[in-house]
Amino acid sequence: MTKLPKCEDKKLGLLIDLDTCVGCHGCVVSCKEWNSSGDEKQLSDINSHQKDPVGTFLNRVHSYERENSSTNEAETFYFPRSCLHCEDAPCVTVCPTGASYKREEDGIVLVNEDDCMGCGLCAWACPYGARELDLVSGVMKKCTLCVDRIYSEELPPEDRVPVCVKSCPTGARAFGDFNDPNSDVSKKVRERGGVDLMPEMQTKPVNKYLLPRIKSKDAVSSVGSVVEEETDATGLLGWVDRALSKF
Amino acid sequence: MHPAPSIILFTVLSGFGFGLISIVGLLQFLSQISAGDIVIFSVIGLFFSIIGLISSFFHLANKKNAIKSMSQWQTSWLSREAISSIFCLSIVVGNIGWVFVQNRYINEVGIILFLLSLFTIFTTSMIYAQLKTVPSWNNMLTPALFIFTALAGGSILLLDYASLVLLLIFGVLQVLFWYIADQSFIHKETSVGTALGFSKNEDIRAFDVAHTNRNYLLNEMVYKVARKHAIKIRYISFFAAFVLPMSLILMFPGNFSISILVIGIHFVGIYFSRWLFFAEAKHSVSFYYN
Ligand code: SF4
Ligand code: SF4
Repeated sequence: MTKLPKCEDKKLGLLIDLDTCVGCHGCVVSCKEWNSSGDEKQLSDINSHQKDPVGTFLNRVHSYERENSSTNEAETFYFPRSCLHCEDAPCVTVCPTGASYKREEDGIVLVNEDDCMGCGLCAWACPYGARELDLVSGVMKKCTLCVDRIYSEELPPEDRVPVCVKSCPTGARAFGDFNDPNSDVSKKVRERGGVDLMPEMQTKPVNKYLLPRIKSKDAVSSVGSVVEEETDATGLLGWVDRALSKF
Repeated sequence: MHPAPSIILFTVLSGFGFGLISIVGLLQFLSQISAGDIVIFSVIGLFFSIIGLISSFFHLANKKNAIKSMSQWQTSWLSREAISSIFCLSIVVGNIGWVFVQNRYINEVGIILFLLSLFTIFTTSMIYAQLKTVPSWNNMLTPALFIFTALAGGSILLLDYASLVLLLIFGVLQVLFWYIADQSFIHKETSVGTALGFSKNEDIRAFDVAHTNRNYLLNEMVYKVARKHAIKIRYISFFAAFVLPMSLILMFPGNFSISILVIGIHFVGIYFSRWLFFAEAKHSVSFYYN
């Protein structure tokens, strides 16, 4: 059913810390791997080992630079983009076949591939580009919040988190219940001011982002002073410096 | 947005077909049309609507589930469109059969066909107008333009001076639509800043792309058309869809063979108009690729 449920029980989602993400694409690779293993589920690639490869991904990492207004320096950060499991998910209500739905028990937004006709309208309705039509199977693909891991009875308990969370080497991604004020993710959102993406689209995303902290003027100017000190260095460093300067 | 020929053809042809059906329905209700003409023009309307629907069918990546699109009428405009068009076309077929066999018609069926075909065109337009992600579509001008495009096209074959009025309304709406489309994002709050969780005016730019090649998102939703080309196409479209038909109808009122020529020219104009409707529309996901 494409009518949106209330989800009063749980709102599962991700908290992504842009201050910590180093843009390694580890989550992208592990997501692709997890969601392409097994018989039925595939995130296909076309021309994967040739010129002009294209493929389906549920998660992509962008890179941006941002002007720090107090230092006038550009600061770079990385931005993983995937489905935010919106409370008012427009992708669900537009779906004509009922393939797209939001689960009442935990708020996860899913596609039932057996019903999808590949019209692509849900991808148009999502403001964030979180849905990609698989060009081989002809059905819509999106992040499942690893619904097949988090409730798995076979996996060891510590692995029952989305694979992107498990694989992130810096711990930039956290998984939890945003409806529970005492969950780790809810606490971090309160402490560090978690934000919504495009709040003006009124999708009420469950996933939240922690923005990169702005570097202070002192931090930036001290970079220069360290470098200067090193060029005047004495002792072993000074000898290395003088020796290298000859070339 | 990517101007896919299958979708453009779908909206142009089925729009014209349902426009013609609604005009036939109105004339049937007002007893202003002969039984023979009802049959002929309903068949033409039916033909174009069905060609349009078939063309939209070819846009689907998983055609075998198309029948399921009739199930979600409670929330989905695309589902409502599927139901409404099939329902409307069945009544058209019934009406054609009845009139053909009996050689007379029931006026009330005319008004039902008029309203139902207008509603079908409305549901088509709402597929686009409902999308907050594309502000240039997300307003009531989209349904108004779709409905009057269809009515103007449908009236060319059947009405003389009344078609001029409908064409005029279409022309005004078309210019208004282009004007609003040019303004759209200026008034909206979305930017690369809000896309990333910052404030709207945050100074941010992409320094590297997220993937090595184009992907579905870029192909489907990040279509860029050069501004100077767009303006040229607007002129061509407006001339063919509006100026030429108006002048030809004024010069040769009531000339049926001329009106067939007019329809042909009008089609070309509407095709370009719809091409621009998609090509010029900016989807919010494009901010991630700023
Ligand atoms: S992020 Fe996009 S795909 Fe995910 S729930 Fe929200 S609108 Fe739907
Ligand atoms: S592509 Fe599939 S899931 Fe998306 S709106 Fe169409 S039928 Fe529904």
